[in-house]
Amino acid sequence: MRKTEFWFVYIILLVGQLLLSTYCTFSPYLTLSILPVMVLCIPNRVHTPLAMLIALASGLFVDWLSEGMLGLNAFALVPVAYARKGIIGLVFGNDLFARGEDFSARKNGYGALSLAILLAQGIFLAIYVWADSAGTRPFLFNTARFAVSLAAGLPVLLLVSKVLAPDSRR
Amino acid sequence: MQRSKLLTQLLNLAVFIILEAAALTLLTGNAQLQRIWVARAAHGFMGTVWGSTRNISNYFQLKTVNRELAQDNTRLLQELVRSQEMLRRAKVDTMQFTQRPGFQMLGAEIVRISRSSQHNFFILNKGFEDGIREKSGVITRQGVVGIIDAVSAHYSYAFSIQNRDISISARIGAEGGRGILVWDGSSKDGALLKEIPLQYQYSPGDTVYTSGHSLLFPPDIPLGIAGASKVINGATNEIKVKLFQDPGSARFVTVVHNNSFDEIEEFRP
Repeated sequence: MRKTEFWFVYIILLVGQLLLSTYCTFSPYLTLSILPVMVLCIPNRVHTPLAMLIALASGLFVDWLSEGMLGLNAFALVPVAYARKGIIGLVFGNDLFARGEDFSARKNGYGALSLAILLAQGIFLAIYVWADSAGTRPFLFNTARFAVSLAAGLPVLLLVSKVLAPDSRR
Repeated sequence: MQRSKLLTQLLNLAVFIILEAAALTLLTGNAQLQRIWVARAAHGFMGTVWGSTRNISNYFQLKTVNRELAQDNTRLLQELVRSQEMLRRAKVDTMQFTQRPGFQMLGAEIVRISRSSQHNFFILNKGFEDGIREKSGVITRQGVVGIIDAVSAHYSYAFSIQNRDISISARIGAEGGRGILVWDGSSKDGALLKEIPLQYQYSPGDTVYTSGHSLLFPPDIPLGIAGASKVINGATNEIKVKLFQDPGSARFVTVVHNNSFDEIEEFRP
């Protein structure tokens, strides 16, 4: 995928997340967000500080235009961008950076891709659920919300990663 | 290469902190619940930090506090000895009671100590300019530590009680026999009370005090607890004593000097 194509798809997905946040409320136990995998799929050539800025802007965009709390998505998404290269290096290996390549499902396998998505989504959800409850909800509720959201979101996030990180992408 | 990697990591961390702080500021500015939650967490954190810094500050003030306590201790000890002296004289002759200075006391700190030989010594941080004089006793709240042997302007050299050349006149029990207390030569708090006449009865567990017959120490300073004994040459008892004060662990001490020392010494042939 070319550079401009990626960012075009990224913005489309951002609008999709905005619609998801505004109109789709399934259950108090389910928080569906494709933002973490979008940040994870930002090309490797983009340095971490810029990736964090993009994450902050993406989170604020969704927070501002949806009915959520301004800053909540941004607060949970910036750590994903900070940990992005660490997760990629840990799951796919540091050779990827040396070769200047990005990850994809065919190249690295669905197992590794799922693991990377779970790590990114886990960081996002842990902070999101913790900050959203602000100490007012029981620990068990938060844990259940975290686990349900993580499990239910994986298929959707794999699909998003397929769109953002296709096999032809260099 | 390594330095550049470290700089990059520091830059990433700095940007991360700034962006997270910005997001958190927006979040707390727009949500009442989150504002209270963050404020509570911040107060908890500040409380912990302040508590820790207070503990650290208190720790570094301990030396000053110890010094002040040692000075108080010296003053109280001086009061006690003076009161005992006055009481004793009042008992002897209530009509001829006169207040006469007995022992002069000064607080000092041990700055160097030897504890691995048979002739141990220590050095105090005060000398003759501070009022310390030769042939003075060195005591703590828990007993005798040593005897001043030499004095310079700002320091004093003293023989430790853990020195085979040092002996102290001591008494067992309130009115018991008097003898000589010497270090046992091996343990850190062990001593021997020698030359106790056989006619004096005592029990293990009795307290051993300074006798008051020495010119160096005031009477009735508790020294230790009596233990097992044995008869020497069929004439005297030798009693093991467990000292209250391990001289090796003493730091803040009181130097006692008998004001009548020179006057009494003149009688010596």
